[in-house]
Amino acid sequence: MTAAGVKTPPVPPTSRAASASAARRLPAGARLAWLHLRSRRVPSALLALALCGGALRAVLHWHLTSGGALAQQGPMIIEAGAAVLIVMTTHSPFGEAERAAGRWLPYLRLGAVLALTGIAIGALQLGVTGASLPGGVLILARNVIGITGIGLLASLVTGGLLAWILPLGYLGFAEYALNAAWRNPWTWPVRPPADRGAWICAVLVFAVGLAAVTFRGARTSLADNG
Amino acid sequence: MTAVALTARTARFRTARFRTVRALRLEIRHSAVVWVLPILAALFYVNAYRTAAGYPPTWTLRASVITQANLAFSSMIAAGVAAWVATREGRRKTGDLLATTARAAWARQATVLAATAFWMVLAYLAGVAVIYVQTALQATWGGPPLWPVAVGVVAVAASCAIGFTCGTLFPGRFTAPIVAVAVFVAWFVGVNAANSVNPDNVSNLSSLKGTSALLVPALLGRPPDVDAGVYYHVPPDVFIAQVMFIGGVLLVMVGLFALLPAARVPGAWGLSFAAGRRLTVVAAAGVACGVAASATAFSLAGTGQYSLTTGWEIPALHDAAGDQSVPYTPDCTGSAFKVCIHPAFAPYLGAMSAALQPAAAEIAGLPGAPVRAEMTPGYSPPAVAGTASVYDYSVEQEGFSGGFWATPATARTADWEQGEQQDFITWFVSGPAEQDAPGLTTPAQEAVAIALLARIGAPVPSYPQFSQSITAAASGFESLSPAARHAWLAANIAALRSGTITLAQIP
Repeated sequence: MTAAGVKTPPVPPTSRAASASAARRLPAGARLAWLHLRSRRVPSALLALALCGGALRAVLHWHLTSGGALAQQGPMIIEAGAAVLIVMTTHSPFGEAERAAGRWLPYLRLGAVLALTGIAIGALQLGVTGASLPGGVLILARNVIGITGIGLLASLVTGGLLAWILPLGYLGFAEYALNAAWRNPWTWPVRPPADRGAWICAVLVFAVGLAAVTFRGARTSLADNG
Repeated sequence: MTAVALTARTARFRTARFRTVRALRLEIRHSAVVWVLPILAALFYVNAYRTAAGYPPTWTLRASVITQANLAFSSMIAAGVAAWVATREGRRKTGDLLATTARAAWARQATVLAATAFWMVLAYLAGVAVIYVQTALQATWGGPPLWPVAVGVVAVAASCAIGFTCGTLFPGRFTAPIVAVAVFVAWFVGVNAANSVNPDNVSNLSSLKGTSALLVPALLGRPPDVDAGVYYHVPPDVFIAQVMFIGGVLLVMVGLFALLPAARVPGAWGLSFAAGRRLTVVAAAGVACGVAASATAFSLAGTGQYSLTTGWEIPALHDAAGDQSVPYTPDCTGSAFKVCIHPAFAPYLGAMSAALQPAAAEIAGLPGAPVRAEMTPGYSPPAVAGTASVYDYSVEQEGFSGGFWATPATARTADWEQGEQQDFITWFVSGPAEQDAPGLTTPAQEAVAIALLARIGAPVPSYPQFSQSITAAASGFESLSPAARHAWLAANIAALRSGTITLAQIP
C-alpha cells in the first residue's frame, strides 16, 4: 500500500456545491412539471381520456351509431371530445402573473400538449384494440391532432375554458361534410386515412396552434367576463 | 283583513315579481350564450339551411330539417353552454359571497338557467323562422307544421336543463365539453336506434320487437317521402309522444336541480330536504310527473304501427278522423295532351309539361297512347301501358329521372326533362312485367324505345340489354319516315309490349 491512494486531493467546495445543485435540479424540474400539470388539471384530463377510450370501445362494440358510409360519425365525436379535453388543460389559474415567473413556461406548455395528444391517441387506440375502427388509427390520430389544433387556436381568443366551442362547431361541420360526402382537404375527418392533403391540413393547424399556445399561452381573461 | 293590509300584500307580491323579471333581464343581457351565437349561425347555415334549401318546397319535408340537423347542433351547444354557465359562481369564486344574500340561491340559479334557455330557444326559433319563411315564399300548398317546432323547443330546453344540472353537480372545467359531447353521442345513438324502425331499412315491419325508437326526434333518421303531408295529413301521434318524453326529461332535470343542495351551496353533495318545504314538495312532484310522462311516452311509442298512407301512428293517441285524404284540384296544362300535377308541386308543372309534350306528340294516335299525365301518390304503381289513357307518374317513381327530390330550379334543366322523357317512353313500350322497375325485357322493346327517344332528342338510358345490334335496329327504325314508323307501331305495339316481336322483325 502506498500513500498515493490516501492523499487524494480534496474536492473543492465550489465543485461540491455544483453537484449538490445538480442533484437537486432534477427533482425540482420534475416538481415544477408536476405542479404545472396539476394546475392545469391534467390528472383529471387523463382520467377523462381513459373514459373516452372506454366510450369509443362501447360505441364500436355495441354498434351504437350508424354503419356503412356514416360509420365514422360516432368515433369522430369521441375523438373530438378527447381533443377538446387536451385543449381545456391550457387554461392557467394564475393568469398573467405566471408568465413573469420563469423561462420554463413555454417548454412546459409544449410538453404538456404534446404528451397529452400522444396519450389521447394511445388511450383511444387502446380502447379499440380488437374492435374494427373505421379508417383505423390513422384517421383517429389525424382527427385528434387536427381538432386539438383548432382548439389551441381558439384558446388564444376565448381562453382555455371556452376553447371547446370552436372544435365542437367544427365537429358539427364535419358531420355534415360526412353526410354530404365532401372531399376538401380541410374536411379531414371525411378523407381516406392516407390522404396527403388532409394530413397536411390537420398537422398544419396543429403546428400553428401548438406554436401559438407555446409562446403566447391561452388567453388568461375569459371571453365571457361580461 | 283591512284594505290597507290587502294593498300591502299586493305591493309585496308585485315587488317580488318585479325582482324576478329584473334578475331575468339582467341575466339575459349578460348571458354567455351570445358568444356562441355566431357558431350556431354558421352551423345552422351549413347543416340546416343548405339541406332545407336543397329539398322540394313542400312543408313537411322542409320541416323535417328542424328536428334533424338544426336540433342536433342546437342541443349539443345548449347542453355545453348551460353546463358552462352553471359553473359561473364556482369559477368566479363568488359562491360564499352570494350565499349570504337574501335571495335564495336556487332562485338565483334558476334565473341563470332560464336566461340560457331563453337565448338557446330564441336561436333555435330564429333558425326555424328562416326555414319557414323561405318555404312560405316557395311553397304552393299547405301550411307550416307546428308540432316539429314544439318538439324542437322542448328538446332544446331539456338540453339546457341537462347541461345546467350536470354543471351544478360537477362544477369542473371539463364538465361543459363532456356534457356537450355526451349529448351529441346520445343523439347519434338515438338516430341509429331510429333507423331500426325506418320502413326503408326493415323488410317486415310487423316483425319489429318494439318501436320505442320513434321517440328520437330525428324523424326516423332520414327525410320523409317527398309527398309526406301532401295527400294525407301527417298524424301528430309521434310528435305528441316525443314532446311527452322530452318534456318529462325536462321536468326531471329541473326538479332534481331544485332538490340538489349543490344548487344552494356550490360543492355540496347528495339530496337534501332542508330547504323550504314547499319547494321540496313542488320539486319532488315535478320529478315524479316527469318520470311518469317519460315512462308513459316510452310505452306509447312502443305500440306504434306503420301506415302506408300517413306514416307512423300510435293507436292510443291516434285520431282516425284525420286519416281522410286531403282534397285538391290538380293544376293542368296542355290541350291535346294534358299534364296535371298536384298543386303542392305546381312549380314543376312547366318542366313536366315541357318534358312530356314532345314525347306524347311522338306517340299520339297509337293504341294505348295516353291523353293525360297525372300525378299519383308515391305508393301507387302506375297503370299498365295500353290499358289506360292516363300516364300515372309519382314523386317516388324509381325510373331514370331524378324525380321530385330535385328543386324546381333543377327540374328546369335538360337532364331532368330528358329523365322524365325516358321514363315516359320506357313505360309506353314496356309490358305488364316491367311496371315495377325501370328497364325493358326484350331487345326489340329497347330498340323501339331508343329510336323514339332519339326522335325527341333524349339520350339512351341505361337499359339492361344494350348492345350494338339493338343500336343498329334502333337507328334503322328511327330513319323510317314518320308515317311508316307510326303505321308499324300502330300495327305492332301490342305484340311489342307482350314480348313477341324480335329484333329482326323491326323494319
